[in-house]
Amino acid sequence: MIASRSPVVRLGIRSATPLALMLGVYLLFAGHNNPGGGFSAGLVFGAVVTLRTVAGLQRPLHARQLVAGGMLLAALVALAPIMWGAELLDQIVVAGELPVLGTIKSGSALPFDIAVTAIVVGLVVALLDGLATVAATRAAGPVEGEPS
Amino acid sequence: MIWVFLLLHLVGLAASAAAGWRWGIRAGLAVASFAPAVTGVWAIEELILGVEPVVTELVWVERLGLSLRFRVDAVSLLMTALVSGIGALLFLYAISYFDAASAGAIRFPVALLGFSASMLGLVLAESAWTLFIFWELTSITSFVLVAHKNTDAAALQAARRALMITAGGGLALLVGLLVLERAGGVANLTDLAPVDGTSATLAAVLLLVAAATKSAQVPFHVWLPGAMAAPTPVSAYLHSATMVKAGVLLMALAGPAFVQSATWEILGLAFGITSMVWGAIGALRHTDAKLILAWGTVSQLGLLVTLLALGTGKAVFAATSLFLAHALFKAALFAVVGEIDVRTGSRDIAHVAGLGRAMPATAAVAALAGLSMAGVPPLLGFPAKEAAIEAVLALDGVRLVVVGGAVIGSAMLTVAYTVRLLVGLFGSATGPGSGRSTVDLVAGRPYPLPSAPRPVMTIVAAILAGLGLVGYIVLQAVNAVVGPAAVAFNDSADAYELLRWPGFTFALTVSSIVIVAGGALGSVLAARIGRESAAVPRPLGAEAADRLLDGILVASRRVIGKVQHGSLPLYLTAMVATVVLAGIPFVSALSGTRLVAWDRPLQMALAVVIVASAVTGTTVQSRLGAALTLGSIGICVSGLFVLHGAPDLVLTQLLVETVVVVGFVIGLGHLARRFPDAPDAWQAVRIVVSLLIGGVVVVGLVAAGADPTGIAPVAELTRQAIDEGGGNNIVNVILTDIRALDTLGEIVVLAVVAVGILALANVRRMEVTS
Repeated sequence: MIASRSPVVRLGIRSATPLALMLGVYLLFAGHNNPGGGFSAGLVFGAVVTLRTVAGLQRPLHARQLVAGGMLLAALVALAPIMWGAELLDQIVVAGELPVLGTIKSGSALPFDIAVTAIVVGLVVALLDGLATVAATRAAGPVEGEPS
Repeated sequence: MIWVFLLLHLVGLAASAAAGWRWGIRAGLAVASFAPAVTGVWAIEELILGVEPVVTELVWVERLGLSLRFRVDAVSLLMTALVSGIGALLFLYAISYFDAASAGAIRFPVALLGFSASMLGLVLAESAWTLFIFWELTSITSFVLVAHKNTDAAALQAARRALMITAGGGLALLVGLLVLERAGGVANLTDLAPVDGTSATLAAVLLLVAAATKSAQVPFHVWLPGAMAAPTPVSAYLHSATMVKAGVLLMALAGPAFVQSATWEILGLAFGITSMVWGAIGALRHTDAKLILAWGTVSQLGLLVTLLALGTGKAVFAATSLFLAHALFKAALFAVVGEIDVRTGSRDIAHVAGLGRAMPATAAVAALAGLSMAGVPPLLGFPAKEAAIEAVLALDGVRLVVVGGAVIGSAMLTVAYTVRLLVGLFGSATGPGSGRSTVDLVAGRPYPLPSAPRPVMTIVAAILAGLGLVGYIVLQAVNAVVGPAAVAFNDSADAYELLRWPGFTFALTVSSIVIVAGGALGSVLAARIGRESAAVPRPLGAEAADRLLDGILVASRRVIGKVQHGSLPLYLTAMVATVVLAGIPFVSALSGTRLVAWDRPLQMALAVVIVASAVTGTTVQSRLGAALTLGSIGICVSGLFVLHGAPDLVLTQLLVETVVVVGFVIGLGHLARRFPDAPDAWQAVRIVVSLLIGGVVVVGLVAAGADPTGIAPVAELTRQAIDEGGGNNIVNVILTDIRALDTLGEIVVLAVVAVGILALANVRRMEVTS
């Protein structure tokens, strides 16, 4: 693949990774009060992971585990309130004072957003990985049902 | 409380899968037994302490009335005690039934617990739709269980047949419930109002067909004997105590809606009487003990259907009592047969004999359960059957002759097949007056001796059979449980109770004659075991069912071959054409009165770029160029979002564009630089389709803007977001809190898409490597 052969691309992706990861984390946590959220964060992480994989900087993530883990977490967050008699997906908000950081407010929306992130990352990885597989196997020969 | 138990079953599913995967089928079953055990104990405790009726509800879509509604009352607790209590015992039984290294270590415990959970939901269901969902779930999970030996063609065929018939019945149930709801009956099962007229007739037919398929009534009974291909714990659980009872439960619950319907009574009696008699005859024609019991189930359920179709207080009371008694003795008998099967390698009364001496404990348990089935005191089957005979003797005219004759006749046949089964399994072939051959005539070798005892199996069977004896001893307690349940089905059932000894009534005389005559017939037939023709009689109609099944499979393969042709461009064309059709209704809503050229001039500038890019995209020959025009469109659209003050949309749009760019980076490297040439005709089709979809989007947008209804509840949403959600970004609080259920649905869609892509990529990898 071209990306793994070009040192410029590799260096670019490598140096952009920390920034992009920070952006993703920021989006995940900022989402409650500012633009952002689990979906956006998932897209950022997904793009980073795929680019790194394509450039040969890391091994591919397991999309299956990400999606399954995300669904499990989402189901837990959704069902947990029932255990103490509240409604399905009821939101619990907790606020606390922390040194340095000041007032921290969070709630069950955060794990839910993390679940969304995991699923979106899984989807993006699966999508782009699937595309890479199809593209790579295409090179091996013409594929039925597609114009050649 | 109900939620806790249902959640416990869900957790149990995951836990038993993990245990089965790590330590094998026995560990999986042991873990799986936990949830039914806890639920069963709870139900029994509630029954003893007294029932407080409770209804709980989980609303899904309020305006459509879609919700999961469950109730705890006398009926549902009795059913829960049976489903979960017997379930937990049979899970333990299954641990002993299977060898530690049996196949299906994950699948079997999960499917069995899944079935148990579905059945629990079914008996607890309060709304008709909740019942329907769990009804279908029992069909699906039981399919997996019957097909457990998935290398055995006969088992697979039996499973398919069972699925076809019970799922077909599910469709009848769906339509029947819809008709019932339209006819003014409400969707809650416990307060159905009587309906009349044509729709009542239609609903009666549909619901009866649904009940008959599930409860294996003639002519839908063909699936039940085949389903004996399932492991015996499954047969003991599904085909005696639970799933086949679902149809009867439906009849009992829906009965009050059809008190004025003659169709309900006549069709119900037709199903019930035929099954009662034909099932009992079937039980006498077979030598496989499981098939004898299966046909006996058809007969017993026919009796229940008959009593419920009569619908008098007495009949409903008798049906409720028999429901309980039958679940206990039939599960016990299946458990006994399973033990004999495992220990001797055969369960055919032509191939085993004299097991009474070799397996005395098992024989005693079987006698206890069998005598309860025959309706002999001092066992629970006796007062229940007395109540049934009393109920039919209280009829008059033609009903007395037809129904009474059939019930008494089939009761006699029941005694006969019970005696034949017990004598066949346990009676000594060399004993005085036995008349049986001393060796296995069919196989031409001595009868097998049982291998090492399996005490757990015997103990479970003994508990189930023993409950029939205990029930007779504490009959007042049984009355306290059965009575309120029967009253819930029919108010006039409260005048009746089970009697330990009815005194010398006419009914007692009748049942004495039944027992004596049936016993004599059974002994005569038992002496002939092994001398009849060895061919196993097929259930009447099994060929027709199989032909229908084959027809469905062939037809669906043909349809799939036509529809799933595998051509991506044709799929796209079909999807787009469908969207175009969906857009047609909007044409009538078109109105230009609210059209303005732009809110801000900058919008116009962006629009020009978008249109120019789109036109370029359709004509450009290089793939990279086309990708660039798409990117340009995406960025300009996010520019439009900026102008509208929607930063969240802008962010998401830009990020999606980024991911798309990554996709192009991956994909374009492997493709030719230019698009391939397409034939002119195909080109023309694509242009037409593109223009149509573009037109539909424009029409849809104009129509949507032409007639706005109401004002967006921005203030309310803002308040909710900040006060309840605790966040300032309304969009995100809507996504994660206010409409979190929608988001949950959306991420499920994403997950399904991801799984689909992974599967497709795997298929491609395998195609290439193979």
